[in-house]
Amino acid sequence: MTATGTSEGVQRMLADMREGVLQGRVPARIFNDQEIFDLERDKLFSTAWCFLAHESEIPKNGDYVVRYIANNSIIVVRDEHGNINANLNMCRHRGNMMCKSEMGNASHFRCSYHGWVYKNSGELIGVPYFKEGYEGQLDKKQWGMIKIRIDTYAGLIFGTLDPQAPSLDEYLGGFQFYLDIYLRQGAGGSEVHGPPDHWVAETDWKICAENFSGDGYHTPVAHQFGFHLGYFPSSGATHSEGWAVHIPDKGHGIGLGHTPGMPPFFGYPDELVEQMRGSLSAEQIEVFSKTRTAVGSVFPNLSFLIQPFSLVPGEPGVRFCTMRLWHPIGPGRMEMWSWCLVPKDASDEYKEAAYKAYTLTFGQAGTFEQDDFENWTRVTKAAGATAVRDVDFPYVMGLERPRLADFPGPGYAVSPYVTDTNFRNLWSTWLDYLTREA
Amino acid sequence: MALNVTGVDRETRESIREFLYLESLALDERRFRDWLEAFADDAHYEIPVRVTREKLSEWELSPTSRIFDDTKETLDVRVKRLETDFAWSEQPPSRTRHFITNIIVQPTEKADEYLALSSCLVYRSRGEEITPSLFSAQRRDLLRRDGDSWLIVHRWAALDQAVVNAHNMSIFI
Repeated sequence: MTATGTSEGVQRMLADMREGVLQGRVPARIFNDQEIFDLERDKLFSTAWCFLAHESEIPKNGDYVVRYIANNSIIVVRDEHGNINANLNMCRHRGNMMCKSEMGNASHFRCSYHGWVYKNSGELIGVPYFKEGYEGQLDKKQWGMIKIRIDTYAGLIFGTLDPQAPSLDEYLGGFQFYLDIYLRQGAGGSEVHGPPDHWVAETDWKICAENFSGDGYHTPVAHQFGFHLGYFPSSGATHSEGWAVHIPDKGHGIGLGHTPGMPPFFGYPDELVEQMRGSLSAEQIEVFSKTRTAVGSVFPNLSFLIQPFSLVPGEPGVRFCTMRLWHPIGPGRMEMWSWCLVPKDASDEYKEAAYKAYTLTFGQAGTFEQDDFENWTRVTKAAGATAVRDVDFPYVMGLERPRLADFPGPGYAVSPYVTDTNFRNLWSTWLDYLTREA
Repeated sequence: MALNVTGVDRETRESIREFLYLESLALDERRFRDWLEAFADDAHYEIPVRVTREKLSEWELSPTSRIFDDTKETLDVRVKRLETDFAWSEQPPSRTRHFITNIIVQPTEKADEYLALSSCLVYRSRGEEITPSLFSAQRRDLLRRDGDSWLIVHRWAALDQAVVNAHNMSIFI
């Protein structure tokens, strides 16, 4: 072990990976390893912008949700002035957890240990026995709750533990263009349909983030039942059509699957399509109107999927949108958070139909979701085996594929959308974080 | 609710209990077609998302978020899927055991419909995994008399865990 706590074996593996990713090789070991998990916690999640919550989860003053960045519990709260704050979920006095429920509404937080009281903005305002115990000498301004730096994009609230991190705008690096397909579904944008499902799985979070950064390759096999029952608005023959785009050196990627002959913005109500023609740019309309499936990941661990789906095979579908957070809790182990986003300005009937499509497909009991996690748990288990320590996986698909010169959106675009191009960028970005000097 | 024993006759109560046991046996024996027959054509099958909240909160079971939100038609889709060779989440199948206890039968405003409350513990084992998934739930079933048997008109089940300790929900409660 070195001074940084990482063994020479893992350091060598990461050093080799620098060249390996460019040639399309990724070590299996990264998907289930204690040292890799520790490095991710200390070097990646401590500096990246991490998704915390959607603004529509805390619409009223005092509304809060409790979320995580790595193992840090964070209260995301709208204060009495309507501003969003994020503070460590910890009393500054002796470290007791302040909020033990996952959501609620409170003007103040009071610690249940010694009774320190904070405004919901995090400011310390009440200290028991202030005169008798502290002789009035405690500087309350110094001992507020610990603030987390936050910023927002189109309703998404991100936080970072790194005061030196670049701006969120710079961090997203143009991926905002693609996020708009999920976040600007109509003039009023998107909102959550309700609190997220969450569950624990023996799966490495990165497998999920990779899958959602555009793995169209798994769909015809992992979700073959969908084709078999006549569900899927694409066929095995045309499934690979579309684009894959990523933001170089940022890790974000999206797959945009096409179905030939599908009407523009298929699966949205007419009035929303009208609104989107106003809320999206001409370039976005050119890209999104053709898109059947949009499946994308914001590095490191926020993903989205939009897809038309019908409850009954063969009927025209409605668009549902899932937003998901892959929260690492140990090597090869994660907690999954999954929301359904609906267009804010849509009718209640449409919102309900979209939510029903979500529960049947990608909620916790969703038929597509079930199969993904079944595969991902097996991949994770295999990656933890000693004989797999030195095994690489091939990431060579599309290695020689040329970048599209005239693609209307930002980033590095290739076609068709079945490719490993986005994933190579994801892994080289991940590697940049893990090998950074402290 | 006061602890009053309601006026449901013994025969009805026993018949409903027997029905619930037979229905859970069909699930445990993976006779999903038989199981589906237990549902009325207008059936609703729902499991709300549970949220950890403070004691005085308005709700703990989300009014809008659901883990299952099925009709007989969508349950039929789920069963059709299980009948294909591509339902990987159940390949090989989970071994389940439904423990249905504390069954309380109450009358409703309709003469041929009863409400059955029960506690449900589902033990689920997969492959060589030695740690099972456990789903503990309260169920409320609205049952309609159907000749000598019963039909489930509405199954509502509330899981006791807010964060479910299972990598998927490819089984039925």
